[in-house]
Amino acid sequence: MADMTTTPRLTRDEVAQIADYARIALTDDELDEMTNYMNEAVALLKPIREYDLEGVEPTFHPIGDLSNVMREDIVDTDQRALDIDTALSNASTPRKRYFRVPSILGNEGGDF
Amino acid sequence: MATNLDQLSAADIAAGVHAGKFSATDVAVAALDAIKAREPKVQAFLEVVESLALDAAGKTDARRSHGEELGPLAGVPIAVKDNMHLIGTHTTCASHMLEGYKSVFTATCVQRLLDAGATPIGKTNMDEFAFGSSTETSYFHPTANPWDTARVPGGSSGGSAAAVAAGEVPLALGSDTGGSIRQPASFCGVVGLKPTYGAVSRYGVVAFGSSLDQVGPFGRSVADVALAMNALASPGRDPYDSTSQDCPVDFLEHLEDPIAGKKVGIVPELLEVEGLTPECRLAIDEARAALEKQGAEIVEVDLPNISSAVAAYYVIGPCEAFSNLARFDGVRYGYQEKGCATLAEQTSKSRAHGFGAEAKRRQMLGAYLLSSGVYDKYYYPAQQVRTLITRDYKHAYEKCDVILLPASPRTAFKFGEISDPTQMYASDMFTISNNIVGNGGISVPVGLGKDSNLPVSVQLQGPAFKDRVLLQFARAVERGCGRPGTVAPGFSGKGGDLS
Repeated sequence: MADMTTTPRLTRDEVAQIADYARIALTDDELDEMTNYMNEAVALLKPIREYDLEGVEPTFHPIGDLSNVMREDIVDTDQRALDIDTALSNASTPRKRYFRVPSILGNEGGDF
Repeated sequence: MATNLDQLSAADIAAGVHAGKFSATDVAVAALDAIKAREPKVQAFLEVVESLALDAAGKTDARRSHGEELGPLAGVPIAVKDNMHLIGTHTTCASHMLEGYKSVFTATCVQRLLDAGATPIGKTNMDEFAFGSSTETSYFHPTANPWDTARVPGGSSGGSAAAVAAGEVPLALGSDTGGSIRQPASFCGVVGLKPTYGAVSRYGVVAFGSSLDQVGPFGRSVADVALAMNALASPGRDPYDSTSQDCPVDFLEHLEDPIAGKKVGIVPELLEVEGLTPECRLAIDEARAALEKQGAEIVEVDLPNISSAVAAYYVIGPCEAFSNLARFDGVRYGYQEKGCATLAEQTSKSRAHGFGAEAKRRQMLGAYLLSSGVYDKYYYPAQQVRTLITRDYKHAYEKCDVILLPASPRTAFKFGEISDPTQMYASDMFTISNNIVGNGGISVPVGLGKDSNLPVSVQLQGPAFKDRVLLQFARAVERGCGRPGTVAPGFSGKGGDLS
């Protein structure tokens, strides 16, 4: 009978897909190393697969009773907030009052 | 004869400034002088902020001359791990990704030390984005262990631990996601506390694993760590961190209380695990004897699921890291690849060239574990195992007040000695479970190992929000077998005389 706790090895192509999804452009050499690493790291996680966890509630956070706090979408000047110049001060290529990005759809490069 | 700053505790410095024995400016000048003399060999800092230090010290002195009240950390020089924001400094997380990033606000933990009168001296080196146990993954430079400069200081808060051990500052802040305060503290022979999750605000600390990260202090004595905790936690919850909790405790008040009649748990299986060196095993016996001599009762407790803590952590940690580090896209801040035709290309190349190897590995692992079909096999079950580990600790603390266990399986290793990333992950085998459950833990030095002649520590863990009790037991260990105030011999007395 097959060992149900074993995960099939990740292939280089699969690791390339993960890198694409994670938005990290790995080189060919890096992909080889990363594939080895991913398989070693996943092997380290094996104890998690060996449990019978039927009926065990998950703990996503050490402080269990947290819930999202919503507020009206208005500027509250009593709250700490960055002014626009400060917020833009660490950006590589701001323009006027905005962050600037290359084309999102990819059909033109603009002045980047 | 002049006193060297490294012979004074944080409490001594504050008392001296209060009494007018020396000024906060004298102290800042001495700290900067010690750093100038010692940094070439230890390289604990990424940035030293002389003008900020002298400005803050000058303000403390002005307050005193105007008869205003001084804080409990008046004039105490502090170092801050480079993942914590402080206006007037860069915050780089020791990454090329954030090289040159200027803090635009100050983290609550740092602000609270400043509010208590502390003098900010600089930002300390770390593993890149706190991914590591040796500070070797820093983009900028390695940091040496002050006890043997051919060895690592531990990590990820290696710079903070080394700065305290080398006598450059009496207090430093670190963060601990899987052992990043307690393991470097043990490698460098200083006290390091990871408080209970929620005790110290995380606002303004660059996030790694949001359900695991906790900020805490390093010092050369338990009393100095307690003094820092009073400034960090006692003012109450921080409205800017929704997970921060009220912690209205005076951490110094019961520090010297006897521990007679109290119970210390020992987990026998943990002392037999592969990889635990004889000298680190022996340290447990020494600490146990010291605690028994002071009247504590030793009881055996069981943590049956703790052997799965490393596996659970390497699911939860990378997943949270992948989510948190998604913000580094090179647009609003951080390294930006130039000349890209599309946003996707710019993001992928900025992240590829901005992050170092280990930061990429952790994010890749997290991305995989959160992907469809894999989530159910690892992420969800890891959070269920977290429940089991939490239950184990709850049951254990029905039988004891604190648990005594190793801080690290071994003493400081040489640069490059552990090159396999998954082998490095075993460095945190005794500390990681406490981050999984959110409890406090502290690393206390017990002397030098008989084999390595390097600092050896033990760890004490306690129930949630019993960090005051943890400090009381840590003080008992220190009283029995520690040498509080010890500065690494190769650095003691070098520069830093108080004129």
